[in-house]
Amino acid sequence: MDPATIGLIAFAAVLLLLALRVPIAFTLASVATIATFFIYAFRSGSFAPERAFKATTSMVRSNSFDLIHSYDLSMIPLFVALGHIAYRADITTKIYYAAKVWLTRLPGGVAMASVMGCGGFSAITGSSIACASTMGKICTPEMLRMGYDPRLATASVAAGGTLGSLIPPSVLFIIYGIFTETSISSLFLAGVLPGLLTLAGFILVIAVWVWHTPSIAPATDQRFSTSERFHAALDSWPAVLLFVLIIGGIYGGIFTATEAAAVCVVSATLIGFAQRKLTLSGLWEAVKETCVQTTAIFLIAASAKIFVAFVALTGVAPMVVGVVTDAQLSVVVLMICIALIYLLLGMFLDPIGIMVLTLPLMIPLVESYDLNLIWFGVVVIKLLEIGLITPPVGLNVFVIANVVGKEAPIDKIFAGITRFLSVDIIVLILIMSFPMISLLIPLGAR
Amino acid sequence: MLVNLEKILLGLGALAVIALGILITTNVVMRAVFSGAVPDSVTMVRELMVAAIVLPLAAATAARAHVSVAFISDKFNPRLRSWLIVMGSVVGMLALAPLIYAGGRDFLSVFEKGSFYYGDLNLPKWPGRFLFVLGLSATFARLLELTIRDTRTILAGGEVDDAQHHAGDLLGESGAR
Repeated sequence: MDPATIGLIAFAAVLLLLALRVPIAFTLASVATIATFFIYAFRSGSFAPERAFKATTSMVRSNSFDLIHSYDLSMIPLFVALGHIAYRADITTKIYYAAKVWLTRLPGGVAMASVMGCGGFSAITGSSIACASTMGKICTPEMLRMGYDPRLATASVAAGGTLGSLIPPSVLFIIYGIFTETSISSLFLAGVLPGLLTLAGFILVIAVWVWHTPSIAPATDQRFSTSERFHAALDSWPAVLLFVLIIGGIYGGIFTATEAAAVCVVSATLIGFAQRKLTLSGLWEAVKETCVQTTAIFLIAASAKIFVAFVALTGVAPMVVGVVTDAQLSVVVLMICIALIYLLLGMFLDPIGIMVLTLPLMIPLVESYDLNLIWFGVVVIKLLEIGLITPPVGLNVFVIANVVGKEAPIDKIFAGITRFLSVDIIVLILIMSFPMISLLIPLGAR
Repeated sequence: MLVNLEKILLGLGALAVIALGILITTNVVMRAVFSGAVPDSVTMVRELMVAAIVLPLAAATAARAHVSVAFISDKFNPRLRSWLIVMGSVVGMLALAPLIYAGGRDFLSVFEKGSFYYGDLNLPKWPGRFLFVLGLSATFARLLELTIRDTRTILAGGEVDDAQHHAGDLLGESGAR
């Protein structure tokens, strides 16, 4: 049996096992291990299991162990810990309150503040779902209490939560960086402008929606004095400091992304203790939550590393590249096809799963067209971000639905999401059409 | 006993995350202030990463925190869905067994040879390898326990639910399906 045939059978097996609810990590690792065994066993023409056993076990161990045994990847647990600690230290919630105090008088102001709060939260943590979950608990109930239409109250936070993937630090960018061997610092910087563009787009959606239908966001008689506004803004200094440390440190060449993560974790902890918002038990719980979350992410990444090594053995990737090259697709058609594949997968799979399944084939393809991998990373993350709010499996939508319960059923949240999705598509087209939106900051960095 | 072991491993993993933050920050401060560095800090971080990532794996497995695609199987009847969850645990054991075997061989090899990392401290290579095998073995044991427990539940006419036991509010990409 030739490696390409084994490769195609393995891909089919992966899809079948995923459909049958087998965890993504276990699916990738088991299929890759068995298929690699068969490739080695049939290498000499006849079936030689003894030699294949040793080579296979050695390959799976080295790929998984080397991925975990990494200095650079220590930024993943650290950035995840930063999000947990910042939440427990009240750092993230203060961004929302500051935005609310400033925007509350505007029509739809609390929804805008929620989106800005999501943007702020995203700037110090790396997970979209964590962002939606946390901000959903704070903002959505408040908007519902103020009489906001449930579609606006839920959809704004579900969409705002997706900013966690694009605005650095982002776990998805880190995983993309590992598998494409591109600079994670450059990816972080490349995500800033597209993230801000998306944030501005979401605020515009809320403004237009409320302007068109004022009844969805009743005006509030709550007033804040100038002094209260300035105090609220000043109270959010820890979040600003952490963001400046991350982006300023990386942009200025002071830190690597890994060092920025560590420095921010220590800074957030010290700020939390100094402000008496964080306790030792709170810190311990935050770190334990970090461990459970990070280990699951790494198990997928390590399994994907084994799968990528297996794909390299099969020769399937060059085969796919050959087919596409023979078809003589233009870059525009190629990118549209890639976008459609990701949008389709995004309707059913989680972002990390999509990325580890597709990148082994996509990256050789993109490289054969000589496209910039940093820009392509931003496009991929934007597409994955869109997948988080597209039906039928929009993870962020389910997170918000869990938070608000019966007050806003899933279909109502999806009904509100369509407006935000339209902006997401416009931003995606802009990012794809004008690579400079992504590359401006990384090119300007030292 | 398994639960206690998982609690200890999770605690050690948490300590490793804290140590990572402190070690890297100390290195940054030493570089900025004294133009120096913590000796062999890169090696120490890499060894700590194994502890931070692999040791909590059994606890995450016990909490059923592994990401799967539930969209299709949610439409199946509860009994079939329960068997699929058991199948997931069996496939998990299948995936881990070669890693434990190869990891164990690698650990014994570096331990017997006394291999170490070249650097100021000449740190030994075996601790990271040992933690790797320990974490994976505990996870294998948990998967085996889940398989037996879930099978018994189904055979007794019950249903198995793979919703996370303690899906923390902030669990991210890995925490929701």
